[in-house]
Amino acid sequence: MNRFLFPVTSALLVLFLSSCRDQEVVAYRVPKETDPKAETPPAARAEVSAVPVAAGPMSGTPVATASGAGLSWTAPAHWQTKSPGAMRKGSYSITGADGSVADLSITAFPGDVGGESANVNRWRGQLQLAPLTDAEVASAITRRDENGLKVGWVELASVSGAAPTRLLGAMVPFGGATWFFKLLGPDATVAAEKPAFLNFLTTLKPAGASTP
Amino acid sequence: MISLLRSVRDLFVSLRLTVTLLLLGMLLIFAATLDQVNLGTWAVQQKYFHSFIIYAPVGRFAVPVFPGGYLIGGLVLLNLIAAHVYRFAFTWRKFGIQLAHSGLILLLVGELLSGLWQRDYHMRLSDRETKNYGESYRDNELVVIDTSDATFDQVVAIPEGVVAKKASIQHPKLPFRVVPKTYYPNSMLQARTTAAPPEAVNQATAGFGETIVAIPQPVTYRPNESNTPTAFVEIVGSDKSVGVFLVSTQIVMPQEFSYMGRTWKIAMRPTRAYQPFSLTLLKFSHDRYPGTEIPKNFSSSLRLKTPNGHDDRDVLIYMNSPLRYAGVTVYQAGFENNDRTTILQVVRNPSWILPYIACALMSLGLSLQFGMHLFGFIRKRSAQLRNSSSATSQLPRPSPAVGSVPVASAVIAPRGVRP
Repeated sequence: MNRFLFPVTSALLVLFLSSCRDQEVVAYRVPKETDPKAETPPAARAEVSAVPVAAGPMSGTPVATASGAGLSWTAPAHWQTKSPGAMRKGSYSITGADGSVADLSITAFPGDVGGESANVNRWRGQLQLAPLTDAEVASAITRRDENGLKVGWVELASVSGAAPTRLLGAMVPFGGATWFFKLLGPDATVAAEKPAFLNFLTTLKPAGASTP
Repeated sequence: MISLLRSVRDLFVSLRLTVTLLLLGMLLIFAATLDQVNLGTWAVQQKYFHSFIIYAPVGRFAVPVFPGGYLIGGLVLLNLIAAHVYRFAFTWRKFGIQLAHSGLILLLVGELLSGLWQRDYHMRLSDRETKNYGESYRDNELVVIDTSDATFDQVVAIPEGVVAKKASIQHPKLPFRVVPKTYYPNSMLQARTTAAPPEAVNQATAGFGETIVAIPQPVTYRPNESNTPTAFVEIVGSDKSVGVFLVSTQIVMPQEFSYMGRTWKIAMRPTRAYQPFSLTLLKFSHDRYPGTEIPKNFSSSLRLKTPNGHDDRDVLIYMNSPLRYAGVTVYQAGFENNDRTTILQVVRNPSWILPYIACALMSLGLSLQFGMHLFGFIRKRSAQLRNSSSATSQLPRPSPAVGSVPVASAVIAPRGVRP
């Protein structure tokens, strides 16, 4: 009978060890920390190894729109217009040279939606990039005036892993709302589309206004 | 009863079980490889290999369809151990085989322990930044932090799995209860407007979560996507509710509230693993081959310090040359921010040495076994040759008329090739 002891004990041990998971509430003291927003790093990212990266669940999903005065734009001819759905102001799909498709969404939120820092860090979160401090966000944003509009845009990338992803995002405060122009998709496709995207931003203007 | 136990023992000892398990293992790997297209590497590992049973959804139910990696591996382990206990008698002639089998057992045990104990974290450091913790790639935690002390923060960390159970949590370090009311393993947040979709939820009554709604999303398993959990958590004091907070990994800043004259923070964040040392990034180097953009080497020059001052020195981590310290291994994993930020992978695996020992045992065992066979073969062959030559010497000397082929050559030469 004793000869059964070892295998049976081993089996129980296997089951026991397998059940050990970190599911306990723990308490500990740590030296005073600054908030994560004020302590972490910046922009474009390339990973050496297969650290998981990329687009979060908010990518390409519709957001609530602001009502009121709107913006108009002229999209490049090769951008395919998609149905914007109930939440988007505009929606395009852009097919890259390798057949991959990037998505451009145009949305608007009331107010400043938490400010530039929160918005850029939300985009960074979608690419699993660490958040930036306010100062770093401010330096990462390229600003320009387009037809009387204050346009700020950023470029974010997580270019390793199974699906390297790039995001070009522009924020335009207008009429008590903030408009977002977000081009998100495979790294190569979005990188190739950058000149077209920047040119597209120059066409933004208040709806009804004529281009100077 | 005895006969039943005996038949169970015979089953565990049998070679048939070994073959069946190996076959099941092959099928498991084949199915997992195919399913990797749908689920990605990590989810496939969890579903197929880090599980006892694989379930498939049938309607609203999950039906067990196949044994998982832990079950097959565990049974192989038992089978091997049982075979050694009951079937294989120890002999020096088979010592090599037994050593190789011991290595295999150790390899299986090592894989099991790695699956159970290994934890991976990442540590992002910008220039001159110091951290003493790694952050999980996938696990999250709800933290409630007492920030009243001037030098220390008292943290109570509640794993996401506990939040998901939505049971009231009372911890000795907290003067209130934490009650998760709603939990979404994946969600998106958006500003609370009249245009929010009908499935949008907001139960928050405190913090800036009041201005946001959470929209539940299907859980994603894709390797290039991550889930962003959200929960509505109520802080309930002895006499009344402090409020319901919306916490999410999408909300970077912790939210503050006061209770009994102390200031608290609440947040959902990637699970942290604090280390008994800190690392400061001195310099990240991204070397390229001259005149090209082809990477040659990535390295991080770091300052390693322990709180007790026992260690305070520079370390260099580069590709395939990790830092092993205080039970963790720190690898160079990536970089970002135009080469100003390094990404280190922090791995804790107490059983990391076992595969090395296992491979050494198996190599030694196989070398020994084959060596013994080879040695035996050579000895046998030499004896054969010796016997042949002595037998030849006892034969009458052949007359020149019979032929001049030496007998030894005739013995050694293969049939049909005699001259």
